[in-house]
Amino acid sequence: MVDGTYDETPEAEADGQAEAIAAHRRRNRLGPIFWIPLVWIVFVVLLAVLAPSLGLQDPADIDFLALQAPPNEDHVLGTDVLGRDILARIVYGARVSLTVGVAAPLIGLVLGLMIGIMAGYYRGWTDEIVGTAIDTWLAVPGLVILLLFSVIFGGSLPTVCIGLGLLFIPAAARITRATTMNFANREFVLAARAMGASDLRILALEIFPNIVWPLVAYILIAIPIAVVIEGALSFLGLSVASPTPSWGGMIAEGREHLEETPHISLIPTAVMFVTVLSFNLVGDTVRRRLADLRDRAI
Amino acid sequence: MAMPLLQVIDQRTYFETGRGLLRAVDGVDFELHQGRTLGVVGESGCGKTVLARSIMGLLPSNTRVGEGSRIIFDGRDLGALDEKSLRALRGSEIAMIFQDPMTSLNPVLTVGKQIGETLIRHHGLSRHAARGRAVELLRDVGIPQPEVRVDQYPHQLSGGMRQRVAIAIALSCQPRLLIADEPTTALDVTVQADILDLLRRQQIERDMSMILITHDMGVVAGRSDEVAVMYAGRIVEWAETPELFRNTRMPYTAALLNSIPRVDDPPHRRIDAIAGRPPDLIHPPKGCLFAPRCGHVEQRCRRHSPPLQLASDGTHAQACWFPQSVGTTP
Amino acid sequence: MRYILRRLRRLCIVMFAVTLLTFLLVNVLPGDIAYDIAGQDASEEDVQAIREDLGLNRPVLVRYISWLSGVFVGDWGASFRTGEPVLEAITSRFPVSLELMLFAQLLALLLAVPLGVVSAYRAGSRLDRGIAAAGFAAVSMPAFMVAILLILLFSMYLSVLPATGYEPISEGLWANLRGMILPALSIALAEWTILMRTLRAEMIGVLQEDYIALARAKGMADWHILVVHALRPSSFTLITLMGLQVGNLIGGSIIIESIFGIPGVGRLLINAIYARDFIVIQGCVTFIAIAYVLANFLVDMAYALLDPRIRVSAQHG
Repeated sequence: MVDGTYDETPEAEADGQAEAIAAHRRRNRLGPIFWIPLVWIVFVVLLAVLAPSLGLQDPADIDFLALQAPPNEDHVLGTDVLGRDILARIVYGARVSLTVGVAAPLIGLVLGLMIGIMAGYYRGWTDEIVGTAIDTWLAVPGLVILLLFSVIFGGSLPTVCIGLGLLFIPAAARITRATTMNFANREFVLAARAMGASDLRILALEIFPNIVWPLVAYILIAIPIAVVIEGALSFLGLSVASPTPSWGGMIAEGREHLEETPHISLIPTAVMFVTVLSFNLVGDTVRRRLADLRDRAI
Repeated sequence: MAMPLLQVIDQRTYFETGRGLLRAVDGVDFELHQGRTLGVVGESGCGKTVLARSIMGLLPSNTRVGEGSRIIFDGRDLGALDEKSLRALRGSEIAMIFQDPMTSLNPVLTVGKQIGETLIRHHGLSRHAARGRAVELLRDVGIPQPEVRVDQYPHQLSGGMRQRVAIAIALSCQPRLLIADEPTTALDVTVQADILDLLRRQQIERDMSMILITHDMGVVAGRSDEVAVMYAGRIVEWAETPELFRNTRMPYTAALLNSIPRVDDPPHRRIDAIAGRPPDLIHPPKGCLFAPRCGHVEQRCRRHSPPLQLASDGTHAQACWFPQSVGTTP
Repeated sequence: MRYILRRLRRLCIVMFAVTLLTFLLVNVLPGDIAYDIAGQDASEEDVQAIREDLGLNRPVLVRYISWLSGVFVGDWGASFRTGEPVLEAITSRFPVSLELMLFAQLLALLLAVPLGVVSAYRAGSRLDRGIAAAGFAAVSMPAFMVAILLILLFSMYLSVLPATGYEPISEGLWANLRGMILPALSIALAEWTILMRTLRAEMIGVLQEDYIALARAKGMADWHILVVHALRPSSFTLITLMGLQVGNLIGGSIIIESIFGIPGVGRLLINAIYARDFIVIQGCVTFIAIAYVLANFLVDMAYALLDPRIRVSAQHG
């Protein structure tokens, strides 16, 4: 072979690599499109958590002297149709939106994970049953399932979380099933099995760590979706029961008075929009990062 | 002598990549006269396809073309033409055939539409007339039952037939220059010769010029008038075809000649007879780029890059400090 | 053919499961409709009589089977409240919902296709980034929110389109469409982004294909390449996606119908839910499930029509 005499300068090669790494860093720097939404999310989360100790008015308190008041000294964001303080209701409403937004995807994820891992690992009839069950689940549009659920079990925070969580099962199960099948026959799993590891051990130690990342990516998409659906549900008056404030409910309440006092609907609309947009923007960036990391790992 | 149909002057086509500037075509000069076929031969990655796309003006957006590079077609500097005039030229005066007929035909359009649309575009034919002309063209390129085939989709045809369709598309507007980029590489060995002979026959009948790009010396033998051998983005040897085969001077050309696939080889066999790999085109080494792989390498080859020198009789050029006369006859 | 049969079998199992589960959920769980109907002053005997009347005292499974056998002969029961036959209630309202959904999907496509094509063609440009940003804003805005904003803008400030009120087609096409524009636009604005993103991604891939390079080598104009050569091969995923989106359309139309007061199946369902009119709920859910599953089936067929590779193999097989 004459390859040994190939006199490519090592410095040139190193230069090239440094260049490439610098370019990669430049491309990967997190811009304001990531930080501003993140700051907003942290802000909303803090408000929601600290709500009782912020010295806000009672969100259910009715100020008869100021019905549908525009923003003023007593009520920074004005009052709603019943004279309740909009700022207080927004902050307490954030608790509902955020709780549902995080809890529902988590519930769906945990259940979907268990179902999907079984289907993907054991295959055969388990897989067949799970497949048919998921098809059945998907044969009815999500919102219809959710409406039924809230009619039957009533509107309260736990039922909304569970009902909405159920909607995330099919996708979570499918992602898990596909990833599990992908890994179940890899060398390291076969090796573990050859060494006599139990199924549970294999699932927990060998397969589970590989499924986590696709699911984290999924949960990032699921959070804004959950917030939006909760909004729709409370808009229809089928989420948490009044007088507990929720953003969708507030938007619905102001609907009749859009002409004279649009702020009653528009303020919660703006807050909800900015929050959902923030979740989408942050989620998108993080998801891209995860994909990059995974690509590089492979 | 008449003016050449195509003049390529100091063509440099570089690509901006994450690692730096990739010199895909790095100073290529040649001329091609009306009615002649130029074979361009080289390993994959030597820049022959990029050269073809440079002539067509079909380059990606990260391309940088050299300052002094000129492509002059029929007296017109293609680099100076606007996109609209270039489009009018493409498909009508300069046509191209791609390597893989499996991917170069649109899967959702019928064969007839794909042939006819060039005629509608460049010659202003009606749909009906274009379809009729498409049938004739299919017959010309040797497709049986053309009136049936014209309404079929590419996936209903065999690989060889698809390449014939691609040729029919290229010929549809009577181009003056046809660029065939590895037209048979993706095809079954049994149909390769048919396609090549069809191309040569059409080229002579229509008095076109043709650039036949290939990695296989056997393809250009007997089917071209002159041959340019490319290595690492440059032409390293050029001669009239018989002269080149009789009197090979570059060690690289000799190596290519030795690697002509034989009939008993399995199809799609890659050239692996030349030891070593092509140089890095982003950070090319000093000296002759073939030096690391050359069996006749000397000190001078590692220090200085040899220019393409025309021999005194004007029929043979090579970029080599120590040209051989190896005389390898296949 | 075998594939179709297998799908049909699975479809039957799914429909059976859906109806059974809905029936169980709706009938077993809390709230006794007989009390509701009888009113607060009714005696226990009255309630019992109503139960008898509605057949509510039979075991759930028996009721399910009698309901199911009714479904096949077109007897979907009658509303406990109004006595209106359920199937008639649904079929009379369905065309309205269908119009709304088709109109919405059409508007979504009218937005998504040109924008998707342009942003694929000019990928990475300022225009592409602008479209992507608009898309982000749109996915962050659910249909009911869009509806509020549209009403505010077009009905209140500009006073050009009605905020509520549905006019049947018999009142004239324009009168009918006028009432449908804002509702359909509300759904479309919430749905176009996903279509646009998918088309863009697919199209960027297709534009790298050899046959696009050949089309350019043939000297075809850019718009011709985009529309004739690239759009159709790029749209296959789009069509699958449209099938999946039917669920969103239905969900969207339920909310939008109730906002704009459009007498469709969605509003029927919502009102039945508010009124706990179980037999109507059951009917609506069953109907929606059938429509949903059929829509997906039709989408698959459309797929085959567009892709000659599938079409031909189907003819031969």
